[in-house]
Amino acid sequence: MKGLARQRGALELLGPVALVAAAGLVGTVVSQTSEIYVVTALISVATVVAIYTFVGNSGVLSFGHISFFAVGVWAAGVLSVPESEKPATMPYLFHLLATTTVGNVPSLVIAAAVGGVFAFLVGLPLMRLSGLAAGIATFAILGITNNILRYYEKIGPGLNTFSSVPETTGLLQVTVGAVVVIVAAFAYQKSRFGRQLRAGREDPAAARAVGISIYRQRLAAFAISGFMAGFAGGLYIHFIPINVDSVYLDLTFITLAMLVIGGIGSLWGAVVGALFVSLLDSVLAEAENGLTLLGHSINLPDGSRIVVESAVMALVLVLRPSGLTGGREFSLGWLGRIRRVRLRGPEATSA
Amino acid sequence: MTGLVASGITSVLHDAVQPQAQVDAIGLGSIYALMAVGIGLVFGVMRLVNFAYGQLIMAGAFAIAYASGRGWPVWAGIVLCFAVVLLLSFAMDVAVFRPLRGQSAAVMLVATFAISFLLQSIALLWFGPLGKTATSLVALNQPITIGSADIRKITVVAIVTAAICLGLLLLLMSRTSLGLHMRAAAIDAPTARLLGVRANLVSGVAVLVAGLLAAVVAVLLTVQFPTVTPTYALQDTIIVLVGVVVGGMTRLIPATLGGFLIGYVSGLLGDALPSNQSQYLPSFLFGLVILVLLIRPDGLFTRGRGVVERV
Amino acid sequence: MSALELREIEVAYGGVPAVRKVSLSVAPGEIVGLIGPNGAGKSTTLHAIMGVVPLRAGSITFGGSSLGGLAPEKIARSGIALVPEGRRLFAELTVDENLRLGLAGRPNGGDPAKDLEVVRELFPIVSEFRDRQAGALSGGQQQQLAIARALVASPSILLLDEPSLGLAPKVVELVFETLQTIRERGLGILLVEQRAQRTVALADRTHVLASGELRLTLTPDDAADTERMVAAYLS
Repeated sequence: MKGLARQRGALELLGPVALVAAAGLVGTVVSQTSEIYVVTALISVATVVAIYTFVGNSGVLSFGHISFFAVGVWAAGVLSVPESEKPATMPYLFHLLATTTVGNVPSLVIAAAVGGVFAFLVGLPLMRLSGLAAGIATFAILGITNNILRYYEKIGPGLNTFSSVPETTGLLQVTVGAVVVIVAAFAYQKSRFGRQLRAGREDPAAARAVGISIYRQRLAAFAISGFMAGFAGGLYIHFIPINVDSVYLDLTFITLAMLVIGGIGSLWGAVVGALFVSLLDSVLAEAENGLTLLGHSINLPDGSRIVVESAVMALVLVLRPSGLTGGREFSLGWLGRIRRVRLRGPEATSA
Repeated sequence: MTGLVASGITSVLHDAVQPQAQVDAIGLGSIYALMAVGIGLVFGVMRLVNFAYGQLIMAGAFAIAYASGRGWPVWAGIVLCFAVVLLLSFAMDVAVFRPLRGQSAAVMLVATFAISFLLQSIALLWFGPLGKTATSLVALNQPITIGSADIRKITVVAIVTAAICLGLLLLLMSRTSLGLHMRAAAIDAPTARLLGVRANLVSGVAVLVAGLLAAVVAVLLTVQFPTVTPTYALQDTIIVLVGVVVGGMTRLIPATLGGFLIGYVSGLLGDALPSNQSQYLPSFLFGLVILVLLIRPDGLFTRGRGVVERV
Repeated sequence: MSALELREIEVAYGGVPAVRKVSLSVAPGEIVGLIGPNGAGKSTTLHAIMGVVPLRAGSITFGGSSLGGLAPEKIARSGIALVPEGRRLFAELTVDENLRLGLAGRPNGGDPAKDLEVVRELFPIVSEFRDRQAGALSGGQQQQLAIARALVASPSILLLDEPSLGLAPKVVELVFETLQTIRERGLGILLVEQRAQRTVALADRTHVLASGELRLTLTPDDAADTERMVAAYLS
């Protein structure tokens, strides 16, 4: 019996990882421009899984995770730009930041660390809140972070475009990165902490009765998801130059939408949602440039892409509010039933 | 150093208490109060945060701009505005709100996000990023001088209109049986239904009233901000949402007060602060919001559970 | 004849059956009791009548027409009124507002003034505390208000879910007396209760429900015969 549970558990991890690896493989065979879509999609996967780690397990909506992502962008970016090129876009940096340059992997580690610590500090007061109050409070954090990153030029480029960051995030790095984040999310949700948090979400009174501190578990999940989001931010800045508004409202909405459309309660949902919406966006972006599909040529007028995307997203939610995955983890349910019957033999037919 | 800060604060306060700043701030607060009611009504009855509320205002404003561009008389533009907004509200209700009734907050929020982006992008395709200008009511933007203050006519109109609308709404909610049913549905919808309250009627009326208010706001806003773009009223909606949650989302009066308060404070600070010191103003305001939520998560103006609270 | 009839109804939560093959009827002018231990399915039966939970099998008819698939507010307006478990009053609304809410359940037509007068006569607290918040009333007063609220809907059948819960014995007496008066005025009453003996004594007949199934039907003659009733629970 335990063997079957372990098998199911392994499948729950294998599904998302396999899907991500497959996406990475697809990236190797398509054109250069399409490869960009794949990399963006996989960064979205990492980001959405980070958000899921908190939102899915705790049941609390957070609008603040892109601030951890942004902080990771800043940390990795500022420390990766070669010293000689820093003054061009970041002339007012603190001396320490201006003179320190680190390599690719260290910058990602630092991005994760900064994201995690920031999330922990923010979470200390905020994790007492639930529901709407938590939503607005985390939104306020997003606003404060954006405001500070925008104007505080001693820690980064402020309003300037963040360029000259070494573009080290290619297909391999992003695929590995996404897999790392997925494995971490899986490990967390299977751990005692993850299960305690889920128990607190399902039945707060019962959870408290057995000694679970919902506040502490939420804080842990918040911090861990902050690490992941910071890491994803680090991946992002090594891929493409950004400015302070590309890590603000639009990104917050789209990543949250990806999670809800995939299915808010499961890791599989986070991965499927991110890939689905990214795929939709890529196909539509190509269609705006003129695309031949199944022998028909499609040429969408510019800007209609968002019309179609948002209409599709609304439609998915209206038809299937629990998301594409129904909030369930990856499984081969039908396969399991066949195996069970074979194990027990034909006489075992009870409901 | 403290001397500088102190003199900075006194100068801000001095500017803030000027009659003109006060009236302008009350004007903005009044408009935000109307938006807060629109959002709060629908939330109370359907437990749905309509993030696309701003797009209703945008649509109404575009209708006015369209009418003024065609040289239609002012009243025709206003009628078109109301027609467009009500039609759109009804469509949203039937296509999105009703099917998603009872779903989690996250699902409803993302669905209304999607609608918001959908309407924004349609407007972008139709009118372009620069939008259209509504020139018909510009005369109301002219100031009249009362004492030492230059008060724009529209500010007075806004305050009076808001007062009338809120007064009418108060009458509806407290004197009519429909209003009683709506209040009951906002408190405990399942029990209300068990008593015979018609859920569809109550939510339909909420959507209708919210739509009417959105149309009113569209008219008031186009006077002061005649250039209508696809993101018209988007920032205002976000600010009002924050204000409503800070005020207290679950009951109509705290929500309205929250909307008014955030409008009033935004208006005052917008007038009173010199621009070079206002860089970090958003952080300060957001920090204040967090503080309020930590101390009173249910809202500033809600009283404790089960104690006196009448609409 | 506007009788409420349940025929072999079955209700399940998820896959778990809560009520199985329950049949009973309530006609105007009679009190029918439904007693049983916790979790027996008594509340579920009432919820099924009001359309809050769907039927997996069987039928519920009122005056011959089926109630199946109707929304709760429609059933409430067809002449069946429920006094829910725990009363479920609107604590922050006034007594008068709570009462007027009950008017939402009136089948169309008829002058509410007369029913309001009747109710005010039966329950003086409704007039005495009319502008007080419902949450400020005592348990017994709240129960009276809840029954009053159901009565102003001018129902033919009144459903009550454990009205004596949490009330002092004297108050319980008052409530049971009121039910007698209501029966005399021609309403049919389905009374779900845990106070077995009192219910059996009052009702024209009392069904015993255990684990979702009807075990026994008792009459007022059995009220003194507690052993038989205990046996019914344990079987």
